[in-house]
Amino acid sequence: MLALEVVGLHKRFGSVQALRGVSFALESGEILGYLGPNGAGKTTTLRILAGLVRADAGTARLLGEPAGQARVRERLGYLPGELRLYGGLTAQALLERFASFRPSRPPVLRPRLLEAFALGAGDLARRVKFLSHGTKQKLGLVIALQHDPDLLLLDEPTNGLDPLMQRAFREVVQERVSLGRAVLLSSHVLSEVESSCHRVAVLRAGEMLAVETVATLRERLVRRVQLRVRGALPAGLAGLPGVTQAEISGREAVLWVQGDVNPILRAVAQAEVERFVFAEPQLEDVFVSFYAGTRS
Amino acid sequence: MIAAALFRHLVRRQGAFLGVSALLLTLFQFLICAAVSSTNAGDALETLVRSLPPAVQNLIATQFFGGFSERGLVAFGWNHPVAHALGTAAAIVLASRAVAGEIESGAVELLLSQPFSRATYFFTHVLFALVALGLLALAGIAGTSLGQVVFHLPLFGGGPLLRLGLAYFLLLCAWFGLTLAFSSVGQEGGRVAGIGFLLALGSFFAQGIGLLWSDASFILPWTVHHYFSPQTLLLGEGASLRSCFTLLAVAVVGMTIAAWRFWRRDLP
Repeated sequence: MLALEVVGLHKRFGSVQALRGVSFALESGEILGYLGPNGAGKTTTLRILAGLVRADAGTARLLGEPAGQARVRERLGYLPGELRLYGGLTAQALLERFASFRPSRPPVLRPRLLEAFALGAGDLARRVKFLSHGTKQKLGLVIALQHDPDLLLLDEPTNGLDPLMQRAFREVVQERVSLGRAVLLSSHVLSEVESSCHRVAVLRAGEMLAVETVATLRERLVRRVQLRVRGALPAGLAGLPGVTQAEISGREAVLWVQGDVNPILRAVAQAEVERFVFAEPQLEDVFVSFYAGTRS
Repeated sequence: MIAAALFRHLVRRQGAFLGVSALLLTLFQFLICAAVSSTNAGDALETLVRSLPPAVQNLIATQFFGGFSERGLVAFGWNHPVAHALGTAAAIVLASRAVAGEIESGAVELLLSQPFSRATYFFTHVLFALVALGLLALAGIAGTSLGQVVFHLPLFGGGPLLRLGLAYFLLLCAWFGLTLAFSSVGQEGGRVAGIGFLLALGSFFAQGIGLLWSDASFILPWTVHHYFSPQTLLLGEGASLRSCFTLLAVAVVGMTIAAWRFWRRDLP
């Protein structure tokens, strides 16, 4: 069942064309990564879906209803990218306040979320304005998730979270998805999308470059391998399958490899390796790979 | 159309500010009665006013004080800048916080992703403001009534005071409506409140100029304050339907423009 269907969204802010015909869909029980650099149009898309921004053209249906309907919001969990909360309230009062807006959906997940995000009684008793950025972000996640929404729209959800809490977040999201909930996760961090999502929608300058599985994206990515050996480098590194570019200098080599890295590993296994760095791909690598595809 | 939870949220958020405003207005009107009863303020003011130019004397004696009687001075309490400032500040702050203030605080994005429509959000804010401003007007009337009882000043009955309360409420609604129209297109609550205060100040001083200088009297119908005259209400012919209707029309036009803009705008 489709939890979200976006067709041909266009949005212009003055002279800036923020979205240019963006289309994608999200199934129930799926996490779709919404990947793009700052200013790509991710937040605008999420705001349109939450009913905050009016699209100039195109349609967005959430859980079978047009975006912005109160009925849809009842079943929606939304975390804004620029999270701002009422600073004068205690964290506990804030959670109660937002729960009161959904009388038909009680905050059944709150205890589980407070435990997962390590929010104790001390944190809940403090005024929001005195909480750290990361704790506020965790509160935002609890507000978005506490009523067990059917569809989650999360804009940069791990912003400000430490690695431990990022893992807790991934676990919570995976748990909800395994129960059939759908998640649209906007991010500019490739590793976050890679580790959490089933599919990825790649957006750049308001245009959808691709919607594909994480596995396909990995295949497409060009990653950098740095290598230094004792003695001579194995011959033929530049010609190995998947190597798109190579810089070889004495005992050192920098290789750009697309897809499977095993041919390189097999080749260097014969040598005595002094240094081997397989760098995490960055967001720009995704775009490089798309442009490489376009050129070819 | 109205969300009870949102209404409660507004009560908790604005309650303290409105409570203090209401208390101050009650206290102020009570103190006006105290001043009228405890000193011979009328004679003192009459002596002071005699030293001023004739035009100013006429303005103060008739338009502002309604004569130097006890009744005139109590009526003046409702045209005093403090009474105007307290009510107008409440109306303007409520309107500026409703949209622009929430945008400025950054909470609007999370708030409007909750399960109520924009119409519900808007009309709940309007209803809350009408209730709050109504209670504020009643608080002021309570101050005058209490002062009359405590200081044995049987000057005005319940009917005229309630009509005065209604006129004051309509004046505040007009300021709320006008400011809400700016709030619905604004991004910063402080700036919108500033515009509201400038309009109110402009109206207040324009009315003063129109009353002092006969050549400038043409501006009087263009000021909001012209349509609120406690002296006429309490000492003259009573409530003018035309004045009440004008204040109501200003409020309704302001709120209609605000609703129309708010429905169409992007948030935040």
